[in-house]
Amino acid sequence: MALTGVTGDGAAPAAPAGEAYAVQLRGITKRFPGVVANRDIELRVRRGEVHAIVGENGAGKSTLMKTLYGMHRPDEGQILLDGREVHFKSPADAIAAGIGMVHQHFMLADNFTVLENIVLGSEPTKGVRLDRAEARRRIREISDRYSLGLDPDDLVENLGVGARQRVEIAKVLYRGATTLILDEPTAVLVPHEVDELFGNLAELTREGLTVIFISHKLDEVRRVANGITVIRRGTTVGTADPRTTTVRQLAEMMVGSELPSPETRTSTVRDEPVLVLRNLTVRTVEGRALIEDVDLTVRAGEVVGIAGVEGNGQAELVDAIMGLRPLASGEVHLDGGTTGDGGSAGLEDITGWSTRARREAGLGFIPEDRHRQGILLDAPLWENRILGHQTLPPAAKGPFIDRKAARADTERIMAAYDVRAPGPDTLAVALSGGNQQKLIVGREMSSNPRLLIAAHPTRGVDIGAQAAIWELLKDARAEGMGILLISADLDELIGLSDTLQVMLRGRLVATLDPAQVTPEELGGYMTGARTAAGAA
Amino acid sequence: MTVLRRVGLSLFAPVLAVVVALVISSLVMAALQVNPLRVFEVMLDFGETPAQQVTAIVVIVNRAIPLFLAGLAVAVAFRMGLFNIGVEGQYRLATIVAAAVGAAVALPGPLHILLIVVVAVAVAACWAGIVAVLKVTRGVSEVISSIMLNFVALGLASYLLTGPFRGSEEGASIISTAEIPESGQLGGLNAVFGAIGLAEPPRQLYGFLPIAIVVGVVLAVLLNRTRFGYDLRVSGLSPSAASASGVDARGMVIKTMLLSGGVAGLVGLPDLLGTTHSYTTDFTAGLGFLGIAVALLGRNRPLGIAFAALLFGFLDRSLVPLQIADFPASVVTIIQGTIVLAVVVANEIARRVARRNAERGSGQAPAAVAGDGGTGPDQTSGGPAGPAGDLDQRQGARA
Repeated sequence: MALTGVTGDGAAPAAPAGEAYAVQLRGITKRFPGVVANRDIELRVRRGEVHAIVGENGAGKSTLMKTLYGMHRPDEGQILLDGREVHFKSPADAIAAGIGMVHQHFMLADNFTVLENIVLGSEPTKGVRLDRAEARRRIREISDRYSLGLDPDDLVENLGVGARQRVEIAKVLYRGATTLILDEPTAVLVPHEVDELFGNLAELTREGLTVIFISHKLDEVRRVANGITVIRRGTTVGTADPRTTTVRQLAEMMVGSELPSPETRTSTVRDEPVLVLRNLTVRTVEGRALIEDVDLTVRAGEVVGIAGVEGNGQAELVDAIMGLRPLASGEVHLDGGTTGDGGSAGLEDITGWSTRARREAGLGFIPEDRHRQGILLDAPLWENRILGHQTLPPAAKGPFIDRKAARADTERIMAAYDVRAPGPDTLAVALSGGNQQKLIVGREMSSNPRLLIAAHPTRGVDIGAQAAIWELLKDARAEGMGILLISADLDELIGLSDTLQVMLRGRLVATLDPAQVTPEELGGYMTGARTAAGAA
Repeated sequence: MTVLRRVGLSLFAPVLAVVVALVISSLVMAALQVNPLRVFEVMLDFGETPAQQVTAIVVIVNRAIPLFLAGLAVAVAFRMGLFNIGVEGQYRLATIVAAAVGAAVALPGPLHILLIVVVAVAVAACWAGIVAVLKVTRGVSEVISSIMLNFVALGLASYLLTGPFRGSEEGASIISTAEIPESGQLGGLNAVFGAIGLAEPPRQLYGFLPIAIVVGVVLAVLLNRTRFGYDLRVSGLSPSAASASGVDARGMVIKTMLLSGGVAGLVGLPDLLGTTHSYTTDFTAGLGFLGIAVALLGRNRPLGIAFAALLFGFLDRSLVPLQIADFPASVVTIIQGTIVLAVVVANEIARRVARRNAERGSGQAPAAVAGDGGTGPDQTSGGPAGPAGDLDQRQGARA
């Protein structure tokens, strides 16, 4: 399907041949051990525009911006500012060249004034003393010029989130930035603050500054950007004109549709439920609901997919089922496994159980962030093999760890799940992301769980490992395992799931049949543009 | 080859640290117009007669035993990312209570000693337990609370010594608890020297030595071979992964601190049972803090700690000969201090080397640090460098 206003490389809205772009990246490639984070990135940003870079989490946006901000050097490719090639050794070089970064997480000292925070690191001095008068004058000037509405003498701790963000913006402007990078700036803002921010951005570009805006919120991007570049799986897949491109088309570009198919068709769903959630509610300490009244059933042999824009409660749902987060209310029931005569032992209420008891009862877990929850980078593979299963065979022998059996079983997993590594004593850090993930999948499958929670099981792995992991999930499903699949990859969700649930702001808002739904429709439900009542 | 590389790399950091420390201290000595070569000569001079040499060794080992125990106490907590700075207060309080209890009862030999040991372990574990409870219930950093509790423990010990546990005469120049009767004293091991044909030195080798070795072996097995030890090390490597794997973070903090405190309770016993037989105002101080240095140098492995304790024992022994030879005794303190600084730096270097090797050499021999449970270098550098960071993560995981 041809996208209006979407263009491939050479055909970017033609600038006169001689005119240089404010920022241009050519063929940027950045590799980390085992992963190519960015590949052949092409980016052209004209002076005075708000240019959005959109892509899923993990698509490589942050790596790209770190390259542009001098936090690491690209392995290949060129960075051109106003047509001249530059080489940044550190963020200091980038700042000197007029590039400023506004981080998603504010880097401000609460008990300092706005003035002190802004000048910190580049203080104007008179002799050895801080020249407050000069600093105040310049900050007033910046604030008035771009309508930032800052008082240099306010304490930062008294400011709201929106104002703090403006302090961050003033900070980079104070250092003479002409190109501002904003990393997910709206993630922390409430809607009216977003409007204010967009007003500020308009002021900035009117004065001739350039803004690079990173986001995955497509409606916002369309409102504020003059140009859009889409990144998928580490590379730029095209540019789009926000005036003529719909959210749906953008989503399609972000998610892509030429991926290997994860499809499963013959249903293996059985009658007996393995996981039942009733009225599950999780709140923050302040009482805000992170997930609210979630009812969900996963049956044996069924893959239930949870679709949703990241940050709508999926992570909290996983934590709640794993027992890593206290519930405000609700119940979690898990099937107790098969009894001696082959029948099901029926559901058990595991609401009050510890994480360990849940795992022993047959809950498998492929975590979303494997480095945080799934793997010990500085430990050998065999210790990673028993992580989460340290109380069960083959790891446990009474109170002791059976190192020999654990090593042997690690070798079995390495062979059976195609984990490429020298041996069970290799440190996990030596493995590529895909091999680490296959080890995790292998280890969780090996304990024959009743229910497997698979959170973004193929995130950050190469295509080959992705296909292998999909096969493993399909096989497990056919053998009667219940799988709760959380993913941002819509094709993966639609292809693997037997039932799709859409999560929006902590609630399950729609139940869809993956055989019927298209990625575009699903994207509509995820952003709230479609509702169950309107479409079904 | 691989074994050689493995051993080489795990020795690399401590050896580098010691060498760097010697160079720096030589420079400092030279700046103070002290001839470093002469100083080292005095330090290495164990005397002429066999009796003198054996005595020197006994002094070193006797000093190393409490240092070894203190190092173990610190290391156990380090391995799970906890920084127990409170070993000092834990052992001082434990020792005075154990001394008072030991003096107050009369039991047959082994039972009497056992009682003293049990009391010391229990008191120190309880004291360390306060730190753990504060941490899991109120989120108080164990670094802060254990430092603060040191002051409380020392004050409490002084009060007990001058008040209820006072055993010395009014007006005596050194205040002490009452002497532990013969049945509660632990004889020396000098017979061993006789048995292997060496001259028996005038000083007794502490009878606590075998107990300390057993404690070291038990802890090594506990940390590296048991489920508990695995949970503990996983918590140190990655608190978030530990929680996800089913480790109860709060319970682990409490158990680890009790274990660390329990070992700390033994620190004062070699001296108490072996020579002093009572707790006095001048009872050996500072072992808890030296224990941190020993644990660092020994990379939190029992065997490494044993060598580090012997090295520190050797340095401490040279204090007296140095003073006799008219050298400033502070030379030893300088060497010890620079070792600690150098070891922190060297551990970080070793960690990076090991990581780079691991990341590069998929086809090569597996990473060198995999050795004994594979948690070494990261752990040692993670312990002291980032207790605050670890803490945040753990609290984050709990919230």
